[in-house]
Amino acid sequence: MAAARRNPWVPVAGLAALAAWPLLEPALPAWLQLGEPLTEVFVYAILALGLNVLTGFTGLLNLGVAAFAAIGAYAYSIATCEVYPFQLGFWPALAVTGAVGAIAGFALGAPTLRVRGDYLAIVTLGFGEIVKDVLVNLDAITKGTQGINPLPPPSILGTPLEARGQYWLYLGFVAATFLGVRALERSRVGRAWISIREDELASRAMGIRPDRAKMLAFATCAALAALSGALLVSRLSSSGEPSNYGFEVSIIALCIVIVGGIGSVRGTLLGAFVMVGMNSIVLVRLTEVLGSGAEGMAAAAPAADAGAPAHAWHFVRTWAHNVLLTPTNWKFLLFGLALVLMMIFRPQGILPPRAVHEDPPAPAPPGGGEAHA
Amino acid sequence: MSAILEVKDVTMRFGGLVANERVSLAVHPGEIFAVIGPNGAGKTTLFNAITGIYEPTEGDVLFEGKPIRREWTAADRVRGLAVGATSAAAAVLALNATALWTAAINDRYVMGEPFPWGGALATVPATLRDAGFWPTWFAAAAAFLVGRLAFGAIWRAQRRTPDLVARAGIARTFQNIRLFGEMNLVENVLVGMDQHFRSGYWACLFRTPGFRRERGRMRRRAFELLQFVDLADEAAEPARSLPYGHQRRLEIARALATRPRLILLDEPAAGMNPAESADLMKLIRRIRESGVTVVLIEHDMKVVMGISDRIAVLQYGKKIAEGTPEAIRNDPVCVAAYLGTEELG
Repeated sequence: MAAARRNPWVPVAGLAALAAWPLLEPALPAWLQLGEPLTEVFVYAILALGLNVLTGFTGLLNLGVAAFAAIGAYAYSIATCEVYPFQLGFWPALAVTGAVGAIAGFALGAPTLRVRGDYLAIVTLGFGEIVKDVLVNLDAITKGTQGINPLPPPSILGTPLEARGQYWLYLGFVAATFLGVRALERSRVGRAWISIREDELASRAMGIRPDRAKMLAFATCAALAALSGALLVSRLSSSGEPSNYGFEVSIIALCIVIVGGIGSVRGTLLGAFVMVGMNSIVLVRLTEVLGSGAEGMAAAAPAADAGAPAHAWHFVRTWAHNVLLTPTNWKFLLFGLALVLMMIFRPQGILPPRAVHEDPPAPAPPGGGEAHA
Repeated sequence: MSAILEVKDVTMRFGGLVANERVSLAVHPGEIFAVIGPNGAGKTTLFNAITGIYEPTEGDVLFEGKPIRREWTAADRVRGLAVGATSAAAAVLALNATALWTAAINDRYVMGEPFPWGGALATVPATLRDAGFWPTWFAAAAAFLVGRLAFGAIWRAQRRTPDLVARAGIARTFQNIRLFGEMNLVENVLVGMDQHFRSGYWACLFRTPGFRRERGRMRRRAFELLQFVDLADEAAEPARSLPYGHQRRLEIARALATRPRLILLDEPAAGMNPAESADLMKLIRRIRESGVTVVLIEHDMKVVMGISDRIAVLQYGKKIAEGTPEAIRNDPVCVAAYLGTEELG
């Protein structure tokens, strides 16, 4: 059962294809103009990679990760928007966002170190709802349900980026997050996290300090989620309202991790493409196609079939149009279905975590037996 | 000769159940010391009490003459005050966030004009005064107390945790093997070596040159430990795919990786065939030769009688005998209590 070496060119080729996509777009048909939805995939990928640190590596189920994204989104908005006096640039504001996120992670992590399993899930669920309510009710600071806008767009060296530049910048953030999380996974930090997930008592008895490791996992998760929130709002130029960061967002992030492969960095990344891609690309395109077909039919209908009862076409235009011909309305149904099917047929996820991260070194010269002395 | 491990009158009580009653042991450096007894005699409970999984109801465990216990240091005092102060600040903020922000920012900032930063913090005292002296200070004092007391309570509950015991130099294996099944053998050993790593979070994140050097060094050392327990050929396998006897040896390697001065082995020969337990005896002797004192719980009398310098016998939670293998073999109390007629038949 030695781990098969993965082809190192797969990630390189994937990254190259994604990076080249905006250059190819002018030559592609309308339904392949994917820059916009792929940028959304990138934002969710960063959120899910953060959640994977806490829930995948460390085994702490977090049902409120959207709260960290909300904290990040609002921290970024307050730091940059012209209605506040701070008005930081894009990069300093991201640094502030990461720090605020990490502090929020500590704030949730410290009191819940003794809480495990289902109980922790309930605590994090409550945390998510509380943060949302606080953001609504603290309207002197957060502008309540109005949201904070306008926000300056992402920029590099003071130059604001247009859509294509944002796409590359966000792709770069995904790549950096991926490499960073993987570097942690393959170091003592990640080993401590995984050992806690596998057997907390045994890892304690080997000298691992679970409290520290869990706090680091909470802070890493929260900082990445906050980063994703900041990237989301800076692209939309508005914080949106607090209810945008509700339970659905947490669940989508969790679905990405579970479908991709819980505890697997590559799997989580792929999961973001599968789940958010299905929602923002496949379903949207399908809706467009079906919608234009239905409109054509409806336009042709009275002439072609003047004698038919009016309610038949009414049915096509209303109920059938809203439900059957609008697959974007099915998204939660499909998310649920994807989860159920995964649980039945492939509970470990599409790309389960590799069992092995450290290869043994070449055999040492003979006689090296007194190792522990 | 002073004892490396001294168990003094340890009693472990779980409600009405007395698992250990005034058990005393003294293990000397360089010894192989066995604890035997029938099932349910309290041997594993004693190990758990030594390694900090349980806190003895009564009695002391001394390692190299000292109890393993966190002391309340100046740093803990500062930490406790900091936790209290943070709680107090959080409570005041939670009650007055809107007023503080409005006075400091909203009332003073006109969009498009430069913000007078200098006066922003100066608004805080007036705002808090307007909020009412008593509610604010009462909340701050209450939150400070709660934070400080919670810190104290958690600190007290963590005075003698298994990680502290492991870091002090006592390693152990488990009766029901507790390996990290999804990790390979090298990684399992590397978990045991965690406390000897120097690179921190940021070094790991950015894979600094120091981190890479240390990783190479540690991996080689882990591999040498696997050679020491004869598992080098399977180094890349996930631990759960190993046969039972090999898993027991991997647990020993993982425990040795913490660089202990005392190792507690809980039934290391369980589930091994005679050839494997003969190898195990050699391994235990090599561990002792490398300078690590060994205490083991074992049911396999061949192993116990073959390698132990001294043996303690537990029955119903009490120590009923202690001595050399020869003495235990000939002690009628022990034979009646535990060895029985079938074993020695």
